Amino acid sequence: MKQFKTILSFELANYFKDKLFIGITVFLVAVIAVVMFFPRFTVGGDDNSSTGANSNSVMLISAKDETLSKQIAESFKPVFTDYNVEAVDYDLKSIKASIKNESAECAFVFDSSDSYTYYVNNLQMTDVNTEMADEILKSISISDKLIQSGLSAEKAQEIMGTAISYEVQTLGVDQINNFFYTYIMVFALYMVIVFYGQMISNSVAMEKSSRAMELLITSAKPTSLMFGKIIAACLAGLTQLICVFGSSIIFYNLNKSYWGDNMIINSIFNMPVELFAYMLIFFILGLLIYAFMYGAIGSMVSKVEELNTAAMPVTLIFIASFLVVVFSMSSGEVDNLLMKVCSFIPFTSPMAMFTRIAMSTVPVYEIIISVIILIASVFVIGFGSAKIYKTGVMLYGTKPSFKNIIKTVFGK
Amino acid sequence: MQLEIRDLYKSFGEKQVLKGISFTAKDYHAFGLLGRNGAGKTTTIRIIMDVFSCDGGEVLLDGKPIDCNKIKIGYLPEERGLYPKKQIFSQLVYFAALKGMSKKEAEKSVNYWLERLEMTEYKNKKLETLSKGNQQKIQLITALAHNPQIIILDEPFSGLDPVNAMLLKDVVKEEIAKGKIVIFSSHQMNYIEEFCNEIAIITDGQIALSGDISEIKRNYRRDKLIIRSTQNTRILNNFKNCKPFEKDSIILTLASPDDKKQVMETLTEQYDIDEIKVYEPSLNDIFIEYAGDSNKEVQR
Repeated sequence: MKQFKTILSFELANYFKDKLFIGITVFLVAVIAVVMFFPRFTVGGDDNSSTGANSNSVMLISAKDETLSKQIAESFKPVFTDYNVEAVDYDLKSIKASIKNESAECAFVFDSSDSYTYYVNNLQMTDVNTEMADEILKSISISDKLIQSGLSAEKAQEIMGTAISYEVQTLGVDQINNFFYTYIMVFALYMVIVFYGQMISNSVAMEKSSRAMELLITSAKPTSLMFGKIIAACLAGLTQLICVFGSSIIFYNLNKSYWGDNMIINSIFNMPVELFAYMLIFFILGLLIYAFMYGAIGSMVSKVEELNTAAMPVTLIFIASFLVVVFSMSSGEVDNLLMKVCSFIPFTSPMAMFTRIAMSTVPVYEIIISVIILIASVFVIGFGSAKIYKTGVMLYGTKPSFKNIIKTVFGK
Repeated sequence: MQLEIRDLYKSFGEKQVLKGISFTAKDYHAFGLLGRNGAGKTTTIRIIMDVFSCDGGEVLLDGKPIDCNKIKIGYLPEERGLYPKKQIFSQLVYFAALKGMSKKEAEKSVNYWLERLEMTEYKNKKLETLSKGNQQKIQLITALAHNPQIIILDEPFSGLDPVNAMLLKDVVKEEIAKGKIVIFSSHQMNYIEEFCNEIAIITDGQIALSGDISEIKRNYRRDKLIIRSTQNTRILNNFKNCKPFEKDSIILTLASPDDKKQVMETLTEQYDIDEIKVYEPSLNDIFIEYAGDSNKEVQR
């Protein structure tokens, strides 16, 4: 036990003193900080200007028929509140010039009441002026036609003003809202497992190729060595995850008012707390399973260069399960048969079951069964990996075949 | 204190590596464990250190099975290697702590050994920045820092310059004088002859020869004659088992040691002989004979 503690603290210190580890963590926190503080600097405290226009920009309205241009300008004013809507003479040259020299931001030039050309200097992605104009023009034209067909102006207004009220009640989970945070968490799970899995196999292979292993195995029990290394990696991964998620929550709360009604960001930070608990469970169990496998792989190669090929099967299983989860998520069908099966297979269940919990309603007994299978597999794979590790660390040159590995695990 | 290895057997898969290894190493003495590469030395050492168990036989310390959790063993593996990219002091403390020392004890002891081996100036450097010989000295500290009762040194002198070799010799002699069991494994026979009273030669998983070095030498077949003569060419032409030896001398192998007197007489009568003597075998000769060809019939 003392030996295990010595190894654990040595391996942990390796992570916390590692420049790469510190660098990645600081980088991630910095990126999150930049993203979360972004609206504070771009918006400058103005909460409700979410369109691209500044409040004093000018919108020009022009038509061959002067009364038409005045009429349209009047009906545009209450809608385009961010603009100074001005009716101007029908002079294309001067209109284009004023847009070019930025004295006006955009212009609607009408041929008739239902046909126009929209002039703008740089068309922004967020520019919805034409859609808004279409709506206004359509309603003007409908109301005109209603009046022409003999209805009174009041009656026409009434018909036009009919509003439909609706409300959405989500009885299960809201897939639109939880898509983003589920995706972020699954992706974090994926990154952490791949990163730390490879760190572990790398570190084992390094000890082997530098022959430090000769001394290590004669100084400590192989099981202490392996578990010390893997648990240190899990703790380091957990620390990193807490740093990243913790700092995002802090930064979000500092800038909450600036984010206003940004749906994506708000949905991410309004995720249910119990999902964090599930995240933690599946993160730890998932990382352990893969860490054991990566540790065993690291112990079987003689050189670090051989690691990539040797780790390929495990990495492929892992990438495949990630893809199944991501495709199921974007198809919206997270409860399809494949996902259901995957959520009970220990290699895929950390991501699959977590996604199903987050994006659909899963019976409690299914969650319990999945977690129990996962915990049992952690023990079985941990035990098997320790056996492979024990044999693997002393073998040089000969790469053990699959048959030999099975023999090692199930032999005496 | 006495470490007794009794009848060890070990197989890896189909391959039988140890076929009944037995020897005894005593405290206040160094024991030489010899054998060619792949003969089974490292496997024997690993069984002593409980890295894996043996299929048959036992390792006894003062008559009782050895408990590696209680008894401390220091090991300098033939394949050297530590963490190349880590600071020397911290990894030495780590290895001493792994072997059961508290952090404080470990730091104190590592500092002592760095001083003793004249390495204090490299304390905070990364291991990979050191020369091979200096790395070897650092490695030696991992075998000694936790104050082990049994010290196993595999090729301790390879790669050391004469000054460092001298330093190491002194250290080893000190450790022997402290009453430790020192097991030496080396191919540099001069060091074995200098330190060890007893040796065992392992050939192909078996003990080919073991015992006290001087006794082994005394009992070695005295069937070779060294001859110095002005008529070397004539002797070489007339005697079958005769070949040139160092400098101007030739060596003659007798059919049987009993022929010695008769051959000597013949030689002195028929040729102009300056010197004739029975060849004293070196440990090297003995090693080559016993470990050289595993198919050769083993003689004792």
